[in-house]
This record gives sequence, C-alpha cells and structure tokens, in this order.
Amino acid sequence: MNIKKLCSGVKLCYHKTEQFKTSVISLDIITPLDSKASHKALLVHLLARTNKDNPTLTAMNRKLASLYGAVITPGISQVGESQILSLTLVCIDERFALDKEAVLSDGIRLLLDCLFAPDVTPEGFKEENIIREKRLLCEKIDSLNDDKIRYAYRRMIAEMCCDESYGISELGEKDEINALTGKELFDVWKQLLLFSQIQINITGNFDDALIEDAIIPRFEALERKQADITEVHTEFITESYDSKTVTEKQKVQQGKLVIGFRAGMTYDMDNFAAIKVMTAIFGSGTFSKLFMNVREKLSLCYYCSARFINSKGIIAVQSGVETENIEKALEAIRHELDEVRMGNFTDEDIKAAKLSLKDTYKSVSDSVMTINSWFTSQCMSGEFLTPEDYIALIENVSREEIIVAANMVTEDTVFILESEKEEA
Amino acid sequence: MGQKLIKNDLLGEQYYEIDHKSGLKIFVMEKPDYSGAFAMFGTKYGSVDTCFRIKGESDYVSVPEGIAHFLEHKLFESEELDAFQRFNETGANANAFTSFDRTCYIFQCSDNFDKNLEILLDFVKHPYFTQETVEKEQGIIGQEIRMYQDNPDWQVLFNLLRGVYHSNPVRIDIAGTIESIAEINAELLYSCYNTFYNLSNMALAVAGNVTKDEVLAIADRILKEEEPVYFEQIVPEEDATVKQDYIEEDLGVDIKKFALGFKETLNDILPTPEHTLSVRLALDIIAGKISPLYSRLMEEGLINTSFGKEYFTGRGFSCSIFTGESNEPEKVREAIIGEIEKIKAEGISDEDFSVCLKKLYGAHIFSYNDVDDLAGNLIDAYFNGQGLFDIDEVYKEITKADVEKVIAESFSKDNCCLSVIK
Repeated sequence: MNIKKLCSGVKLCYHKTEQFKTSVISLDIITPLDSKASHKALLVHLLARTNKDNPTLTAMNRKLASLYGAVITPGISQVGESQILSLTLVCIDERFALDKEAVLSDGIRLLLDCLFAPDVTPEGFKEENIIREKRLLCEKIDSLNDDKIRYAYRRMIAEMCCDESYGISELGEKDEINALTGKELFDVWKQLLLFSQIQINITGNFDDALIEDAIIPRFEALERKQADITEVHTEFITESYDSKTVTEKQKVQQGKLVIGFRAGMTYDMDNFAAIKVMTAIFGSGTFSKLFMNVREKLSLCYYCSARFINSKGIIAVQSGVETENIEKALEAIRHELDEVRMGNFTDEDIKAAKLSLKDTYKSVSDSVMTINSWFTSQCMSGEFLTPEDYIALIENVSREEIIVAANMVTEDTVFILESEKEEA
Repeated sequence: MGQKLIKNDLLGEQYYEIDHKSGLKIFVMEKPDYSGAFAMFGTKYGSVDTCFRIKGESDYVSVPEGIAHFLEHKLFESEELDAFQRFNETGANANAFTSFDRTCYIFQCSDNFDKNLEILLDFVKHPYFTQETVEKEQGIIGQEIRMYQDNPDWQVLFNLLRGVYHSNPVRIDIAGTIESIAEINAELLYSCYNTFYNLSNMALAVAGNVTKDEVLAIADRILKEEEPVYFEQIVPEEDATVKQDYIEEDLGVDIKKFALGFKETLNDILPTPEHTLSVRLALDIIAGKISPLYSRLMEEGLINTSFGKEYFTGRGFSCSIFTGESNEPEKVREAIIGEIEKIKAEGISDEDFSVCLKKLYGAHIFSYNDVDDLAGNLIDAYFNGQGLFDIDEVYKEITKADVEKVIAESFSKDNCCLSVIK
C-alpha cells in the first residue's frame, strides 16, 4: 500500500498487484457533513449515472457493458463528521479481455469524465436527469427506512448526536432533495472540484504511465490552491452525563434495541487499540460477553453485538428482541459492560479478541474491495496506517488498559423500536 | 484415493479434485499469493428435504419445517468445548448457512489454517444434541425467524415461492416457523444427521494460501472411512402451472417491494450449464441495464436502482425472478410481459446478444477474485453435478438461438406470479 500527494488537496493511494482479476478505482471527495448534505448526495448520483459523451442511461450502460460489464457506482459514506462522495469503477484486468481491449484505460477515462465532464448546460444540470435522480435518491431513503435494523441504528445516532454534525443524514433529507435546482447543483459541483480534499484509490494491475498520463493531468488542470482546500474536522464528546431513552412504536414483529455510548476519546486514534480490544471482548464476535451471555445463555436474541466507531468516538450496541424482553436485554447488556469494567474477563478472552482482530486486519489484503475500502477508511486520519500498523497496536494492549478503557465508556442514548400491538 | 488436477489456461487457474478414502469429495485451489484461506464443508441437505428414509428402512420420516437450519445451529455445540469456543483459540472467522438444498459450514482465516480445518471437520462430524440444548436454541432461532419477518426483501421472495409452487417444499421458510421448530427434538435431529451427513453426501472445498498435501494430511487424520448411506426421498408432485398469479402482504413499507417469477419445469432435477447461461442471458436481454425496457421503466419512474434479476434454481426447482421496488408493481409486470412478447415476435439482435455475453463473461471473471467465492463456487458446481470450469466452454459455444429458445419456452405470461409487499 502506497500513498502520495499529487497536487493541492489531492492524494493518491495505490496498491499494485496481479493477485486479482479485477481492478478497482475510486475517487473519494471528502467534504464536511453539513447543511449541504442533500446537495452533495444528489450530485454524486447525477455524476455517476451519465456524462457528456454518454448522456442517456442506455448509452452509459452500453458503454460499461462493452467493457466486460464494468460498473461505475455512486457512494456516500460517513467517516467522522465528513460526508464522502465516491465514484467507483470496477472492471476486469486486461489480461482476461478476449480481444486484449484496453478495458482499464477506457474505464478510467469514463470514470474521470463522470467527475469532470458531466452533461450540463450553462444553466446547470439538465432537468430530466435531476427529476430522475431526485426520485431515485428519495426512494433509496424510503427503502433504507424499511430496513428496521438500519432504521433503528440511524434513529439512535440522530438522537445521540442531535447537536452535532454527525447527526445529519449523509443521504440528505427528502424535502431538501426535492427542492434542489440544476443551477445549485452546478455550483456545488464547481466548488467541490476546486475546494474539496480528494483521494484517488487504485488497486489492481496497472501501469504507472496510466496514472501519470491519464489521471494526474486532469487534476492538475484544476489549478487548485492549497490555501483554498476545506479541512474537515470531527467534534469528539468524551463523556455523557446522563442517558436518555427514546421509544418509538411501529408495525414490526420484533423489537429493536440500540444503545449509544461515548468512548472517552478526543480524536480518532485516541486510546484506539485498547478501546478496540475492549469492544471486542464486550460485544464483537462469538467469544464476546454479549454473544456468550445475552444470546447463548439467556437465549434472548439472535444478534446482539457492539461496534466501535473510532472516527467519532462512539460505541453502539444493536440487538433484535421481543418487545416484552427489551428491558431484560437492556439490563443484561449493561451488566456485561460492568463485568468488563470490573475486569471480570479471562486472559483467554483477551487472546481471543486479539486473534480475531489480527485475523480480520490480515485478511484486508485478500480482496480488491477491502483494500480499496481501507484506503477510504484512512482518508480522515492524520497519518496513513496500514493493517499491519493496526496489528502492532492491538498486540500491545494490556489487561489494565482494557479495564481503564471500559471505565471511560459512558452511556448516552437508548433507542427502542417497539412492536405496535394490533388493535383487536 | 483418486486425484485430478484440473486446469483453465485462459484464466490461469487450477484446482485439485480428490476422492478421499473416507468417502468425501475434496477440492483444493492453491492460491499462494493470498495471505489467508477459506474452507467450506457442505452437505446436500437443506430445507427442501422434508420426507425421507434410509434405504431398506420401512417407514418414511416426515420432519418439521426448518429442521435442517436448526441442525446447522446445533452442530456447533458439543459435550465439551463448542465449535465457536474452539475457533476462538485460533482467531478464525467461522460461520454456517442453510439454503434450500444445502447446508455449509465455513471459516476464513489468515493464520492457523491446519488447526482450523481440524476443528471444522471434527465438529461437523461429531453431533451432540440434548433436549435441554434444543430448547435453548428454540429461543434464539425464534428471534432469527422474527427478524426475517420484518425484512421486506426476504418476505417478498418467500411469498413469491408460496405463490409459484403448489407443493414443492421450496415454498416453506428455510428457518421454519415458531410453531414448527417447537416440534423439533434430539431424536429427529439425529435421524436427519445420520441420513444426510454421511461423507458420501458431502464435499469440502478449500481455496487460499494452503497446499493440497496440507489439506489431505488433516483429512487423513480426522476423517474416518464411512460406508455410504443411501436414502430415498418423497418429493411431492408439482403441477407445471403457478399456484396463483398474485400474492401480497402488508408490512407498512414506505416503498412497495415486488418479485415477479416465471416458473419453469425442467426434465432433469437440475439445469445444465448451457441452460443456466441461456436463462441468465435472457434475463439480461429482457430487462438488463442495456435493454430498452430498463431505460423506459427508469424514465417512467416505475423502477429504481434496486431492480435486479436472478435465475433461482436448485435441486428440484427453477424460476426466473425480477425483483425491485415500485409504487406500481402491476405496471412493471405488464411492461416485462410486453417486452417478452416483443422479443418472441422479433428475435434478439446480434449486437444485444454479444454485448450481454461480454457483460456476463466479465461478471464470471469477477467471481475468481476472492477465496470465499472460489471455495463456494467449487461446492456449487459439484452439488450441481458440474466442474468449476465447465461453464467456460459454454461461453464459447452458446448462440443467440439458444437464448431465443429459452425465452420462448420458459417465459410465459400465463405462468408467472407477482408478489408484492406494501
């Protein structure tokens, strides 16, 4: 894994290998999660779907199909309080093209055209494209709300971070999306090109000349100035002073329980390794206290697990439980965290947590997609770290550090989705 | 013990196929440039296997719905350390899944491969069920069933199968129901295990940074020679028509989900690779992203980016399915049927055929990237009575006429069902 600076605010992360049969390239535009979230969410979809040379869905899709089913997908993710807009190309390695077609260079040109040469007029993005993309994005938001596990998680975050940018939905809000105009989107696009941090990630089998000739000149032509580049910061709240509970009723069979904790961090790598190992012992994996006790012993649920979001200093526990058992599950989860706080775990637990984390980090290099995601995950960190760097950090964590980390954790928000009783 | 090295020069891939002396079929794909490895140990036993007897026994056993999946959960337990606890000592990521016609136990690891494979082969071959542990699992699986009941994408598909099939057991939920799993006991679990977990009904596939000799050394040590168990099954007669042409359920979703299935009756229990590729091409030509229909439905606001299609097939069932989200699913059905009729009348253009073929070939190349896909594809191919590379030959030989024939025979407006979640 390598990283280099190309020009003002543009970084290149690359991993050159013949291990895979496909290559992946993504253009990550790193922007603050702010009041323009809806604009940016809609924009990245417009950019990915068509461009000047391929102005219709059919033209674009035929072009991609002729490149052996290459795909260009729009992505929106949240790392800390950043909204990352991604355009990602996946295509086969030219070694396997039946007539030795230049699949990768054609694909990269197409991808760059999506970013730099959209189908716009001086008035902005075209109305017919905007209408379609507004509908598609709003339907995507509806569809994600229909996934109750995700919905409950998002609601907990929105409640917990209602006074922080992190509470803003990275997909935007439907009423804001529907109000956007082609001119506004055009202005946002121009600003992103000039002022946003951009990270280009490439994994696969490619020539350096491809990067030098096809990619770098198009970014250099923007003539960006370092002083203009927007820095993105994340606010860390170290401690919660009281825990609030929000309950909602919906027509669901199974209740959902989500608990948000503050992990006591002041920046994304603050005490990272100790909290990572602690969260694993508490609730990530089959060796964890939540799996062993809340699922296996108490038989209360099918899933109950904790995840650590270091980019915001949060730990979240998610479970699906019968509505009448939610209080019991909540109590059991709190009890297990107390057990970790009091040091009631074995050396075998620590070993299992470390082994499992190490194995996961080691396997990053075995998939073209996970390597690419790794690059994106590092885009907000001050320093680029490899999976090997993370393994070294994890190895050094001591029992005492785990206990200290657990005692820094404070409960902030409980979100409960109850099943509505059918009216007789 | 027979061994074969099977090669594909175009892809630069090869794998070993071994008839192990224990009776188990073993596949190994050595990938030294990967850091880790993936193993899958599977049996040809899934939710559709509901009525059977060991050859020579007098009575058929009818088992409760969801028992194959229940058995999968229970195999992780043992009299001493359960399988998860054993994997915790190695760092591997272990899991299992049950589908309609198979149950597979898997792990992925970067270190300690030998130890992990030993655990995998050992725990699957050592069942341990008691009434107490069965009851505990009923609570956990009950919540798994509940979770899927809230999942509209899952429900729309299972409702479709209930609408398409009259009596084929593919219409029952893989996990069963809260009521059916309450009937499961240790004795029934042993009866299923002894019938279907014989090594002659199973296969092991490994892909990654391992050698064939490493895998065989462990198999030699752990697996005991087994006499094959022969069994018979009662498969209910299935009418060629769909049971009903519309089925819906109200889950209060923000956007309706739909699945439109075209039922197919095959002469054989499984489709040939030629037929499979023809159907997949047909799906792409009818409503793939390059089709005029796809653009039209998108522009008219009738489908969104969730729109997809799959050839849903396995032991004894076969159906082509279009899925998606739409506030007017009936209009989508009408449009798809209209397009099928148009293709039947006008045929397929040479250009559409070759672009779709190229696209599918690209997707095929993609499937050779990750060790989990490789091991999974080896098992898939074997359970479907094929070799992993058989499909590559079909890509060279398939013609437009094959696809036109499939569209004519397997996509009839009189034999489809629309499932809607609103």
